[in-house]
Amino acid sequence: MTAVGDYVAAAAQPGPGDGGAPVVYDEMVGPDGSLRSAWAGLAPRIATLDGADLRRLGAQADQRVQDDGVVYHRSSGDDAPAVAERWRLDPLPVVLDQAEWASLEVGLVQRAELFEAVLADLYGPQRLLSRGVLPPEVVLGHREFARAAVGQPSGTRRLVVAATDLGRTSDGSWHVLADRTQAPSGAGYALENRRIVARVVPELYRDSGLQRLGPWFSAMRAALLAAAPDGPAGARVVVLSPGPESETAFDQAFLASTLGFPLVEGGDLVVREGAVWMRVLGGLEKVDVVVRRVDATWSDPLEMRADSRLGVPGLAEAARRGTVVVVNGLGSGVLENPGLLPYLAAACGDVLGEELRLPAVPTWWCGDPAGLSHVVAHLDDLWVRPISRADGPGVQPGSLDAAGRDDLVARLRAQPHAFVGQEAAALSQAPAVVDGALAAGPFSVRTFVVAQGQGYVPMLGALGRVGEEDPEHPRGSASKDVWVLGDRHQAGAPASPDEGTAYPVAAPAAMVPRLLEDMFWIGRYAERAEDLVRLLLATHALAADARARDDDPAAVAGLRTLLAALTHVSTTYPGLLDPSADVRAGLRALLVDPRQPGTVAHAVGGLERAAQGVRDQLSGDVWLVLGGVDRALAAARADRGASLGVLAQESSQVLCGLLALAGVTGDTMVRDAGWHLLDAGRGVERARQLVALLGSTLVEGRDAASEEVVVGAVLAATESILTYRRRYRGHASVAAVIDLLVLDPENPRSVAFSLARARSSLAAVPGASGGSRPARVLEGAHEELERADAGLLAGADGSDRPDLARFLGVLGSRLDDLADAVAAHHFAAPQVPRPYGQMPALDRDHR
Amino acid sequence: MSGPPPPGRRSYRVRHRTTYDYDHPVTDSYGLAHVRPRDLPWQTCREHELVVSPEPQDASTSLDFHGNTRAYFHLTEPHTRLEVTATSVVDVDAPTYAAPALEQPWERCRPATRPDVDDAWSARGMVLASPRVELVDAATAYALVSFTPGRPVGEALTELCSRVHADFAYDKAATTVTSRVPDVLERRAGVCQDFAHLTVACLRGLGLASHYVSGYLATTPPPGRERVVGADATHAWASCWVPGAAWAAVDPTNDAWADERYVTTGWGRDYGDVPPVKGVIFTDGGGSRLDVGVDVAPLDDPEPAPAAPSVGVEGGIDLGLHR
Repeated sequence: MTAVGDYVAAAAQPGPGDGGAPVVYDEMVGPDGSLRSAWAGLAPRIATLDGADLRRLGAQADQRVQDDGVVYHRSSGDDAPAVAERWRLDPLPVVLDQAEWASLEVGLVQRAELFEAVLADLYGPQRLLSRGVLPPEVVLGHREFARAAVGQPSGTRRLVVAATDLGRTSDGSWHVLADRTQAPSGAGYALENRRIVARVVPELYRDSGLQRLGPWFSAMRAALLAAAPDGPAGARVVVLSPGPESETAFDQAFLASTLGFPLVEGGDLVVREGAVWMRVLGGLEKVDVVVRRVDATWSDPLEMRADSRLGVPGLAEAARRGTVVVVNGLGSGVLENPGLLPYLAAACGDVLGEELRLPAVPTWWCGDPAGLSHVVAHLDDLWVRPISRADGPGVQPGSLDAAGRDDLVARLRAQPHAFVGQEAAALSQAPAVVDGALAAGPFSVRTFVVAQGQGYVPMLGALGRVGEEDPEHPRGSASKDVWVLGDRHQAGAPASPDEGTAYPVAAPAAMVPRLLEDMFWIGRYAERAEDLVRLLLATHALAADARARDDDPAAVAGLRTLLAALTHVSTTYPGLLDPSADVRAGLRALLVDPRQPGTVAHAVGGLERAAQGVRDQLSGDVWLVLGGVDRALAAARADRGASLGVLAQESSQVLCGLLALAGVTGDTMVRDAGWHLLDAGRGVERARQLVALLGSTLVEGRDAASEEVVVGAVLAATESILTYRRRYRGHASVAAVIDLLVLDPENPRSVAFSLARARSSLAAVPGASGGSRPARVLEGAHEELERADAGLLAGADGSDRPDLARFLGVLGSRLDDLADAVAAHHFAAPQVPRPYGQMPALDRDHR
Repeated sequence: MSGPPPPGRRSYRVRHRTTYDYDHPVTDSYGLAHVRPRDLPWQTCREHELVVSPEPQDASTSLDFHGNTRAYFHLTEPHTRLEVTATSVVDVDAPTYAAPALEQPWERCRPATRPDVDDAWSARGMVLASPRVELVDAATAYALVSFTPGRPVGEALTELCSRVHADFAYDKAATTVTSRVPDVLERRAGVCQDFAHLTVACLRGLGLASHYVSGYLATTPPPGRERVVGADATHAWASCWVPGAAWAAVDPTNDAWADERYVTTGWGRDYGDVPPVKGVIFTDGGGSRLDVGVDVAPLDDPEPAPAAPSVGVEGGIDLGLHR
């Protein structure tokens, strides 16, 4: 039987309970065992899929996720750094028909309108509290009720984007699981899911006649521009991120680049004259709208948490003055509050004069004595959740022992307003690809709406989730693309598989210094990794040669020199300096060990972190190429017993990926300030690597045969051997090597060329001046090169070359100065805000 | 202590200076001050001037959530000393409370049970724990000794204050600005801010609504001594929501009901809502030193004597290094 056939057969089995027991609603299979009507268009294509097909689709989706660098940062503990996990996407979409979606979206729009009205009241006249429609404790005792947000200009919309998580009960009706009103995440993931699924199952995508997501992002762009205090014309919108390590950093960056708004961090913004400004090269640019992905409590250290480094001091003041609009408004998180759920129907009747359309999971607020007694009496059937998300997701009392339950009840009685009891959410099930079969898993969706005119417009699609959400096994669930059918296909307009790119990735006009720093480091890490792999390959070649020529002392001595040079250049001491060190293990570690600074894997890790920080500046091809580098490294890392020969092949694979990266950054990136810094970073790093390599190979004198071996390896590692042979046609001459690799302005692998490259790139950065410190340091290094004479430098005193050692030493310290000067001149890391200092305990004895 | 005070009007000129000295120049400084005396039925602020030095690039005032005046200022001139000086002229009466209100059983003052009272809904927010006031059983148990069933609320408040005054030592060394209610209960010592937080926790634990109140206290010099400028300080006490008597204010530090010696600048859930001066700076590092000087001068008094050398410069008491 086919995979779908198996699934249908399983789904049509009666439920586990007795005859009257509730069955789970299946998204794909109806009660009669046939596919639901929404899936009819797909039926012919999915009906024939077998296990091999499903495995292939799963692998393709995974591959595309990796190629696009889609990750989710999961933080395991309070202080543990977040770990980037690959995003999980099931290749098969869930399909919803137009009619059932239409009724859902009316409810979603109503919910957002209700929430906006509730926020306007809670941060204004508070009539809902004074008239008893909402219990005051649910609002005033919620951690996200932001007292600093009282006093904003009336009429400022507080809720621009909202998300709602929903599930389905056994009869297929939707109910709300949770609301996201503070800084909803996931719209970017939903769009990325759509892009990937459209490519993995293009024929399904083409034939299904589904609604596109693109128009919703246009609406979001328009809504954010329209939110600007002085209207949309010329408005500057920024997306404020907690940084590249935050949980949903991908979502933030992808959204920012889709919308064409710069992604910034707190340190990139500054409040002046009561308004918010973005630090750009050479000045400040006024910001009109801040799309806030930093939680309110962290967004202004002056008025909220003083220890926050993610915020902007004065942001709350600017928002109250109305010089900037924060989206969603500070304090909108008070609606992420299950304590409100029992009262929303009344609030809806009160403020909208309508019946609340979307029911929520049955919920009892413990601040109401009747609610508390219900919760205590039905403890085993409920979840107990804090009303504030910051206090955790809650517990299932049924899973606690007697002492735990007593403790819980005591906490409920001590702080009843802070908790709700909630029935376990009934969820539908949907098929997911697991091990080449379709397995049913619990299914929920996150839906999105965005402001439009006086109302809201829903995304025609959603971020779906299938599988158990188990913190112990975070990989147990996957995201789903959710297709909403429309009648557009009947009008003959096929949905474009490129819908996500209909809004081109627009680099912001201005760049903040932090981005420039990341670009500089991308250049340096990429060059560092590339140069080290080349040196590894030259060493492998030498090792093979030494093996082939068995006892040849020159080859053995040359290899020894190269192993030492690898350790010096990568600063991985003691590394391979010790003659008894395990060469194979050492060379393997230099390639694959991500923890040891100086290795290729470590440089690639730094490169990827820097790239995450400027994701909205980089083309998708960069992620494609980085994915390739990652795969090559992962393969080498998995191959623990690789022989030297295999290691050499694996190193070549990594080099291919790094060369592709150089090609992509050279070919696809706009020549803006960021690119120039990246290019300067490459130039500076290449020069440093060369100086270190030459210092550890050519200074020490050796016999002619060994010298020939070493010089050959150095030329191989610097990709200059052909030029050398063509030009010098002779035996190894250190003077010729110095000429070619240090002084020759025409050789792209020389120090002189690399410095000239850094110089012209830095000069092209807007705001650069000839008198700047980087320019002066470069000038100094240039003069060193001008003065140098290859023949003199190659001269030996005894057997060593002290002049060369001195020269390279001076050059090396100039290059270190240059890197520092570039950082100080262009990046000028914003200072960290600090509280005024502890106030004294109020301090005089009044007795 | 006896019950609420008899009325009597006083006028003061309050001078409150906060000085930060920094080891390294500060390039950007954002500050908030809650230093303007509130206008209240028993208190009128006739004049108020806030001077920040160096001169702020930007400043504004607004009312905060609790109705206190919040002054915002932003300095961009590099500086190694920040001085925030508030000068206010304020008339204060002793607040009067209707006797029947103070005589009602304290249980009748729980806002959750008094939907008949207009502002009970907003008082309900002041029954809850807040960032610096945890509600702990030990505080509630301590309060219950005074709040016996059916006891008149005024009497119970008076006794709670007296007990805090008697049971807890005034000791600057026993406390920091971040001291918590459980710490204070354990050490049996603290300063006015700790006693105010403790009293607030005691009352909230009983289901009563309570404000942390921030302001100044005019001190009377010891007999035979002249008043010394700078001997006064910012002060803190607590109030309790009493239907028919608004918010009845008591000072556990001095075992007294707040009277015409108490100048109220503001109130909130706890200290964090109304710190007199707070802010955020940008600097390359180094330490800072904080001086606070408060002078509450009765306007009908003769000019105060100049500061005695042993006390230090006018208005400035060295509080040590704060790094």
